[in-house]
Amino acid sequence: MTAERNSIYGAEACSGCSLCLLVCPVWRSTFDIRLTPHGRAKALQHGATAFDVADSIDTCTLCGACEPVCPEEIALVDMVLALRRDLASTMPDRVGNAVVQLQQGVDSNSTTALSAYPTVLLADSALSEQPQLLQTVLALFSHEQAGLAADSGADIALALEAGASVPEERLNRFLAPLRTVRRMIVCDGVLLRALRDWLPRTRIDSLGEAASSLAGVRARLRPDDFYVIESRAYHADRERLVAHYDQLRVSSGCMMNLDLQRLAIPTTASHQWMPEKRRVDPADQARWILEGRVVARVVVEDCRDIAVFQRVAPYPVLHVAQLGDAR
Amino acid sequence: MDIAVIEPGVIPTDNVAPDALKGIVRQQTNPKRWEAANWAPFAVAAASADIELLVQPGIIGTFSTDAGGTAYGMPHAVVIACSAGQISGLLKLAQQFHVPVTVRGGGLTTEGESVAFGGVLLDMTGMSRVLSVDKNKLIVRTQAGIFWHSLAESLRRYDLDYLSAPLNLTSSVGGSLGVGGIDVNSPRLGCSADQAISLQVVTPTGDIVECSDTQNTQLFQRVILGYGQFGVITEATLKVRPYTPLRMHYFYYSSLRTAIEDLQLLDAGDAADYSGILTMMDKVVNLLVAFDSDEREATFMASWRGRLRGHGEAAFTLLMGLHYGLRPWLWREALWLRERKRQLFPEFRRPEHIRNGLMHDRTVVFSRAVWKFWGSRQMVIPDIATSTEKFVDAVEQGNAVCRKYFGHYTLYCVGIRLREDHRQHYEMSCIPPDATTHAYGCEFEPMLENAVYSRDTLQSFKNDIYDIGVKLGGSYYRFGGMMKGYIRRVFGDAVVDRHLAMKREADPGMILNRNVIF
Repeated sequence: MTAERNSIYGAEACSGCSLCLLVCPVWRSTFDIRLTPHGRAKALQHGATAFDVADSIDTCTLCGACEPVCPEEIALVDMVLALRRDLASTMPDRVGNAVVQLQQGVDSNSTTALSAYPTVLLADSALSEQPQLLQTVLALFSHEQAGLAADSGADIALALEAGASVPEERLNRFLAPLRTVRRMIVCDGVLLRALRDWLPRTRIDSLGEAASSLAGVRARLRPDDFYVIESRAYHADRERLVAHYDQLRVSSGCMMNLDLQRLAIPTTASHQWMPEKRRVDPADQARWILEGRVVARVVVEDCRDIAVFQRVAPYPVLHVAQLGDAR
Repeated sequence: MDIAVIEPGVIPTDNVAPDALKGIVRQQTNPKRWEAANWAPFAVAAASADIELLVQPGIIGTFSTDAGGTAYGMPHAVVIACSAGQISGLLKLAQQFHVPVTVRGGGLTTEGESVAFGGVLLDMTGMSRVLSVDKNKLIVRTQAGIFWHSLAESLRRYDLDYLSAPLNLTSSVGGSLGVGGIDVNSPRLGCSADQAISLQVVTPTGDIVECSDTQNTQLFQRVILGYGQFGVITEATLKVRPYTPLRMHYFYYSSLRTAIEDLQLLDAGDAADYSGILTMMDKVVNLLVAFDSDEREATFMASWRGRLRGHGEAAFTLLMGLHYGLRPWLWREALWLRERKRQLFPEFRRPEHIRNGLMHDRTVVFSRAVWKFWGSRQMVIPDIATSTEKFVDAVEQGNAVCRKYFGHYTLYCVGIRLREDHRQHYEMSCIPPDATTHAYGCEFEPMLENAVYSRDTLQSFKNDIYDIGVKLGGSYYRFGGMMKGYIRRVFGDAVVDRHLAMKREADPGMILNRNVIF
């Protein structure tokens, strides 16, 4: 029995206040308390096992909005990941796809010596599939001589999300070249959380924060722009980033996907794990994000959100890096 | 010892009255669990009617207690509400098989009112959709299980806001309409229940009825502030208003009496859009005053500010420094107050909610603070509601009780503007019968601070507070559940028996929220 099991994954601290429901996209889509952090925690308090709450943990989008609002400061994202790991340990078939990708892995010998770059970009799988946008992102940070990590760790990100165990050898192969890097820009919110644990001395920023910190990008944001913050990275560091984005909002006058609690409303497009269990329609989330807004242009941090907003918005949708194109 | 069997709907001898148990510590326990006499045929019938009964321990356990955390009970099954038709079917079967149904919104009761001691727990949060927003008529139609905060999120997209709602993000609309709902603008706009224009209600016998002040009037009167006895509110049409950020002012007092007199002065003169009192024990008494517009604020500063006897923060800090400087034996208390201030004040001034001196999203700011600094797994919040004239005495006596039981506590006082045309709504509710233009309520919130108190101690504290209400002829916000022993003492036999007769007629099986009032 793991230590996590002994403490029922931190769920014992839940007082049942329901504040997590207010920001949970799964609850907004289903109004089913069983599929929420509150429902999971209470079920665990009353003897449920990881198997009993499997549906609930599989539908979680890992947007992380529940964590900053929890008055008991329960690590709710970690709770889901731990439950998925425990399920995977007894039901290996659950994570077959993620394990296959890990086995295929990336040959680190092909990785350029990252120490040559002051800043390294870790693209996620979606950005890697859009070479033109990827080049735009790299160009945005060319003044920092940013280099692209050939080993983006996308397979590790998927494994983390799925609850598959990452072989130590694979993890070392991924982290070794990164240990000399001074600054990393990371696209995947789940990987970003883990990297901050693995490499605590390295400055690790999300792509959204890094791009929106650039004066050129900030200057091109307009009051009739709607700016879509990537929720996973934002909520992982919300206490600090709320000030960053508040300042951006004030200086540009743009609108944002922040709710009244200043949590980022996610489209959940980055939720890749177990698509068959998905209970949140990203397009529905995008419609809710834009409801009642008078918008001329949508600017997104997560490249997956481009397609989502293009489906529902009758105006241009562009990636935040593309704001820097005009230089 | 033989324990008499009490038929549901019969209110027994008041076993918490001061003279009920001579020499014995008064205590109140959970209601007896329903014995599930007809559960099996009921479950079969429910399945035939496509009503899903959730029976897994995890989901049942989710609702085992309420925000108070002192009453515990388990339903036999949970039903997640999804439509008025589904609830109608459920209640018809419940009547047929005599199965109790307990309705729950946000679960923010403290006396076990939203805890099911057997039977079905109906989770109304399953009905949380906003149905329509009319910006021109300033009206919203919503499903009643929705949290006020979720409603606010929808309204804000149209630059609208609700009128008044509890300063707690997870209060539900239906729950608040059923019991009152008090905001810091209630001195001006009344309680939440008074903003309902019309309701869709499923009666205890399963009829789906629309009611308002002009349609099915009697049902409307009984459901509003009716503690869930006369129907399940499934949809509500509410008045709304344009959203405005607040211009906040805080005045500090060291006297409860002076602060309350000033609060009532402002309310009587309609001098502020928002007002209320929040204290650190009886040492730091904060009168909160806020405005929706610059004009209202300017009028206040010109005509009312000079009449208030409170101080600004800097002056009050200086006065407190002098007070405690001369009393070294109270330095421990002074240190606690200083630490409390250090933790609490920044939460009310978070930069993302303050812009150009205006507070945005007051409920978020207050509710975050409430959960962070007052919330815990156990909360005991007895209250008293009185007329304007009796309020100072009630608060001072309640304050003495708090001092007797706890090291640290908070008082929250607010006025409620009453609607003369809603007198019928107020009968046997938290609105005291002798209140005229305003009623006043005070919550007495001990800070349990990880200390362990027996339930008897907490119950004795509540009884001591409620005894004040009986003595002064007031009422309570939380008179149901574990405190229902006070119902006859407060409202009198005539009123209670009349309501009981109405309840029996409306709910022949006495199945709906049976452990709350009757």
